[in-house]
Amino acid sequence: MGRYAIRRLLQLVPVVLGTTFIINYMVWQLPGDPFAGRCGQRPCPDAYVTAMREQFGLDQPLLVQYGNFLKNLVTGNLGVDFNSVSVASLLGDAWPITIRLALMAVIFEAVIGIGAGVLSGLKRGGFIDNVVTISTLFLLSLPIFVTGYLLQWLLGVQLGIITPTVTDEATVPELIVPALVLASLNMAFTARLTRTSIVENLRSDYVRTAVAKGLSNRRVVAIHLLRNSLIPVLTFLGTEVGSLMSGAIITEGIFNIHGIGGLLWRAILDQDYTVVVPVATLLVLVYLLANLLVDLLYGVLDPRIRYE
Amino acid sequence: MRVTKGAKIATGTALLALGVAACGGGGGGGGSSSGGGDNPRAATGTVFIRGCEPQTGFVPGNINETCGGTINDFVYSKLVKYNSDTAAPELDQAESIETTDNKVWTIKLKSGLKWTDGTPVTAKNYVDAWNYTAYSPNAQLGSSWFADIKGFDKVNTEDPDGPDGPKEAPKPETDKLSGLEVVDDLTFKVTLNNPIAVFRTKLGYSTFSALPDAFFKDPKGFAQKPVTNGPFKFVQWDHNSQIIVEANPDYAGPEKPKVKKIVYKMYKDDNAAYADLVSNNLDFTELIPPSALAGDKWKTDLGDRAIDGQQGVIQTVTFPLYDKEFGGNADFRKAVSMAIDRQTITDKIFNKGRSPINGWVSPIVEGFKDGACGELCTYDPAKAKEYLAKAKAAGYTPPAEFPIWSNADGTHKEWIEATVNSINQAFGADAGVKFVHKDMPTFAELRDTITQHKIKGAFRTGWQMDYPHIENFMNPLYKTGASSNDGLYSNKALDAKLHEADTATDPAQSNALYQEAEAMLQQDMPAIPLWSYGLQAGTSKWVTGVKVTPFGELDPLSIAIKEA
Repeated sequence: MGRYAIRRLLQLVPVVLGTTFIINYMVWQLPGDPFAGRCGQRPCPDAYVTAMREQFGLDQPLLVQYGNFLKNLVTGNLGVDFNSVSVASLLGDAWPITIRLALMAVIFEAVIGIGAGVLSGLKRGGFIDNVVTISTLFLLSLPIFVTGYLLQWLLGVQLGIITPTVTDEATVPELIVPALVLASLNMAFTARLTRTSIVENLRSDYVRTAVAKGLSNRRVVAIHLLRNSLIPVLTFLGTEVGSLMSGAIITEGIFNIHGIGGLLWRAILDQDYTVVVPVATLLVLVYLLANLLVDLLYGVLDPRIRYE
Repeated sequence: MRVTKGAKIATGTALLALGVAACGGGGGGGGSSSGGGDNPRAATGTVFIRGCEPQTGFVPGNINETCGGTINDFVYSKLVKYNSDTAAPELDQAESIETTDNKVWTIKLKSGLKWTDGTPVTAKNYVDAWNYTAYSPNAQLGSSWFADIKGFDKVNTEDPDGPDGPKEAPKPETDKLSGLEVVDDLTFKVTLNNPIAVFRTKLGYSTFSALPDAFFKDPKGFAQKPVTNGPFKFVQWDHNSQIIVEANPDYAGPEKPKVKKIVYKMYKDDNAAYADLVSNNLDFTELIPPSALAGDKWKTDLGDRAIDGQQGVIQTVTFPLYDKEFGGNADFRKAVSMAIDRQTITDKIFNKGRSPINGWVSPIVEGFKDGACGELCTYDPAKAKEYLAKAKAAGYTPPAEFPIWSNADGTHKEWIEATVNSINQAFGADAGVKFVHKDMPTFAELRDTITQHKIKGAFRTGWQMDYPHIENFMNPLYKTGASSNDGLYSNKALDAKLHEADTATDPAQSNALYQEAEAMLQQDMPAIPLWSYGLQAGTSKWVTGVKVTPFGELDPLSIAIKEA
């Protein structure tokens, strides 16, 4: 397993190099000079444009720019944005909030989604199964922004139970509703995935053997059935962690949470590539590592899977 | 009680939705603030207003967008300020601004003015700041504002082949404008290249602020935490989250701030700010989202907390006059103008949030005269067809498809589609030209294409005034070679008239000349006036007296916390 992990880590190197190069290439090749839109209807002074291009190395050939970027990345220097604010400090402010929100969302997805999936899978065709099927259908058909605005309006504006937006500190209680909104869609997916998996495995040989051995019902479900049924669910949740870490632009916008999604969104609109490139690079890393972690967890759940 | 409420609502839905509502109820313990009775703002003297992240630091000569501009106006006082009700210029830091010929101006400061670090505001602070902004190696965005001052060409050199070319701009001969002279501690003299009647009005624009000595020691650090001279002082800037300013105890103006602290809370989404406003968590926003404007919902939501006003922004459509195919001729442009049903579009698309204009100047500025565009800005499909026939008779064949361009990252799609529909209907199906709406992805790309004069079609242009005067709607836009003359319009007679207006010494006569110049635009119709922007703002129930400036910003001296 150790060798496998190292091999996988080494495989990350070309992937990271390739993706960062493509990110760099694409953002700097986008049409429209990032400094042309900065002066509204007036043209920006030439001296300003020249000075900014020089400061951010935009007058250099692409490969030189990419080399500089790699050098800075390795030395941990993320540079400053067009407004001379350190990108590292921007990330430092935004990322903890996004991580908190993402983890809470994944926990809701896992606990509620898997719970509902198991309950409905075990009693197929029963009352709970029908309730879960209908409610997940309901959630799946609602886009996130509808759920978000609805809960904000209902709980925040009409009932005054929560404040409509989250404060700068973004504490855990404040994030409960946004996390639920963020989790709602995938919670339904998780529930359905778990249900299918459970239903399928209920008929498998090893479950029949376990029941025949005289194991208690709880043990059959918790140890034998659940552990095997969770593998596809885990794959789903793992990639979910990766994509949630990149921020949830819509949810963050609705509840005014100052996370990565909003930072990236604003930087893209302003064409501030000094923020877009490092943030996108870090997101690539997070995504790759989350996937690696999921792959390693398979072995824990299913001893038949060996890493060679 | 909370859970019950949640459960009632969720009965219709099912298990998961019920879980959501119940958990939401549990989570609200910390933040509830809509209890009546005492005013929660009164204890701290703090108000919260909607904000957004500035693109540059707080150096007045380098700010040109509203996110930074709003706070900049809170913390810096200028020589002149504009009255929030009438938009008229009034002396602020200046004791007097005098001239006999509109060319040499003597500016005297009030005595006893202070910076927030305790140093006095002197004439030298003004001269130093203006020299710094004008000097091209400092690369300040506002440098061109000083082009009227004598000696500008010696301190600000242009790149001979533009920023894209290999050549570099030569180093300027000197870093001091020869037209600026410090007379004594409180007096300085400004000599212009040519007489300019509106120079006094211009002085209220933020680029003409002073900078303290502290700035020159550390310009970069200063930009993040400036030392200022306005009604409020800068406290802190948490990037992407908030900016805090506090009432300046040394502020010498006659009207003092009525609140102790203003928190400029940044929102990414206008809807979020609006939800906070409705539930009284936010005290002011000047951006009511379209969803709330629809059917005047915001007026029902807010009641007497709604503020309905005007601001100095107009919308126009400009033609690329340098392009044979899409520039058209004057009659063609007149035909297009008369084919646009401005009233219906402003009523239906903007819910009367914008008003049709009949000229090229915002109705709220000094020198505005109604009807400069004459009948050409009225909706008359029959006449539009006549003009179209005339245009064709004169030898212009319009292309089969005529685009009007906008940027997709703004909200322009709806009104441009309504406009092209209006034109197409008025022209009829057999007109041989069909107007369409086309988008470029970003504002930057649109502006890039326009300034390189490569755009194929007409394009949306909006003009937000820099200072409330008719001159600001004429010179930068329609003079030959002017900085924002996007269509490359050129008319010698108009240039001469504008020059005459610039140099007239009597303000009333000068305004009359600008109005004559405006009326001359009728001949060529280089841009089609559409409508002027209204202003929709709202306040929470905790504050009172709120006024909005003609620039669409909060007047920071007006906002006060209600007595309980």
